[in-house]
Amino acid sequence: MHFAPLPYLDPGSGSFLIQLAIAALLGLGIAFRASWGKIKGWFGIKPKPEEDDDESENK
Amino acid sequence: MTSQKTNNGQLPASFRDPSGFLFSRGRVLYRQVNHAYELEYARLMESGLYERLIKVGLLIPHVEADQPPAESEAAYKIIQPERVPFISYPYEWSFGQLKDAALVTLSIQKRALKLGMSLKDASAYNIQFVRGKATLIDTLSFENYKEGEPWVAYRQFCQHFLAPLALMALKDVRLNQLLRVYIDGVPLDLASELLPTKTRLNFGLLTHIHLHAGAQKKYAGEEVKSRNGALRVSKQAMTGLIDNLESTIQRLNWTPRGTEWGNYYSITNYSDAAFEHKKQLLKEWTARIQPAMAWDLGANNGVFSRVVSETGSYVVSFDIDPAAVEQNYQTSKKEKEQNILPLLLDLTNPTPALGWANRERESFGARGPADMVLALAVIHHLAISNNVPLPQLADFFAKTGKWLVIEFVPKSDSQVKKLLASREDIFPNYTRTGFESAFKEKFIIHEAVEIRESERVLYLMESH
Repeated sequence: MHFAPLPYLDPGSGSFLIQLAIAALLGLGIAFRASWGKIKGWFGIKPKPEEDDDESENK
Repeated sequence: MTSQKTNNGQLPASFRDPSGFLFSRGRVLYRQVNHAYELEYARLMESGLYERLIKVGLLIPHVEADQPPAESEAAYKIIQPERVPFISYPYEWSFGQLKDAALVTLSIQKRALKLGMSLKDASAYNIQFVRGKATLIDTLSFENYKEGEPWVAYRQFCQHFLAPLALMALKDVRLNQLLRVYIDGVPLDLASELLPTKTRLNFGLLTHIHLHAGAQKKYAGEEVKSRNGALRVSKQAMTGLIDNLESTIQRLNWTPRGTEWGNYYSITNYSDAAFEHKKQLLKEWTARIQPAMAWDLGANNGVFSRVVSETGSYVVSFDIDPAAVEQNYQTSKKEKEQNILPLLLDLTNPTPALGWANRERESFGARGPADMVLALAVIHHLAISNNVPLPQLADFFAKTGKWLVIEFVPKSDSQVKKLLASREDIFPNYTRTGFESAFKEKFIIHEAVEIRESERVLYLMESH
């Protein structure tokens, strides 16, 4: 195990790849929710109004 | 605010950014925007993003100033941001303060993405408390967003915010002090190792910390960015990422245990009359001095800080107990107080100067002196528990502020008896007379009033 930072090894590559993987997964989730909302729409279930976050103050 | 600067007035905390830097001229703070940042600055101002962020209090307001630049070749514009009354650092914040700073950063990123921009930094040092709210102070933190690009500040966000918050909430609240050692945030492999195993069952912590740390190790030193453009983060995926970070952080909570909230003053030996008398004296003296900036050292949950802040002074309310600071901050938030800043501070080991050449983050003392210092029910801890001789205490307080309101707690007081119960009494000078003669070396004693129904004395002093 390394306890001292390795001077030439940048953790940036790993951060980049993991972000890609997580974001892809979470993006799928959003896409799924959007289609699910549409399906619900066919059965007359209205989606909750999206909150306009410009109205919410920084509390 | 800051005493350290280089020849052209440039502040040492802002040397990294090619977009511009802070400099002071006279007593005014300016930010130079460089030509390199021209397009981004124009977009921030013209897209409506600046206006929206100002409207909801997420970004520090500025005006464009008609000032000659500090470094004229690179200069595009000079702006004058609103002055932050007191610069504080994440290792001085309570859990709630760091959490709010994190949520503000994400909220800004969401608004920026909607208008075609993205934060290029997610540094906790870019957030300050202004009028009681966490606020982004670095106007030059935005870049133009190109769809497909990842969030460049993702790793920094995890290190500066998510990792310390998770450690504080799920391991030990004192681990925020790691931020003092690791100036660019808690290394994720360290956070991953310290966090309890059960955090692997939390999707957000599993991915953004544990797997993130693993990926950093696995791909360290590999070149991945230029592979045929297949590696993209769509805007939808980016939104999913930010939303997930937000909900992960929202679910992290810390409620102080042990020291019961609201019970701080019921465990002291004050009668109501003594408490009220102390408040009354403090109110009168504050009205007389009218300090612009007061520091309450050992503020507990801020009861006496509020006596001062209610007169219009700005009060930095320091305490060593993370629970007290948290309670103080939650009160200030609930009451929407604009001129009180609760902060964590160990007076026996105050915040040092940190960072490159020890000049990036200022020490406790360098951010002073204050106009008025309160040291209420604190001297016995410093003189007896921490063995600091009275002349050294007088010297410290004289350097810390012009006016001093200090409470002398004699040996006969039950709280001091408790402190002396477990140690040898090697403090022969710790008497009212000894205290006064030590402090007269540095101060003029204007008032000395015995507090009703107690053995304590409250002093008003002015340093000479």
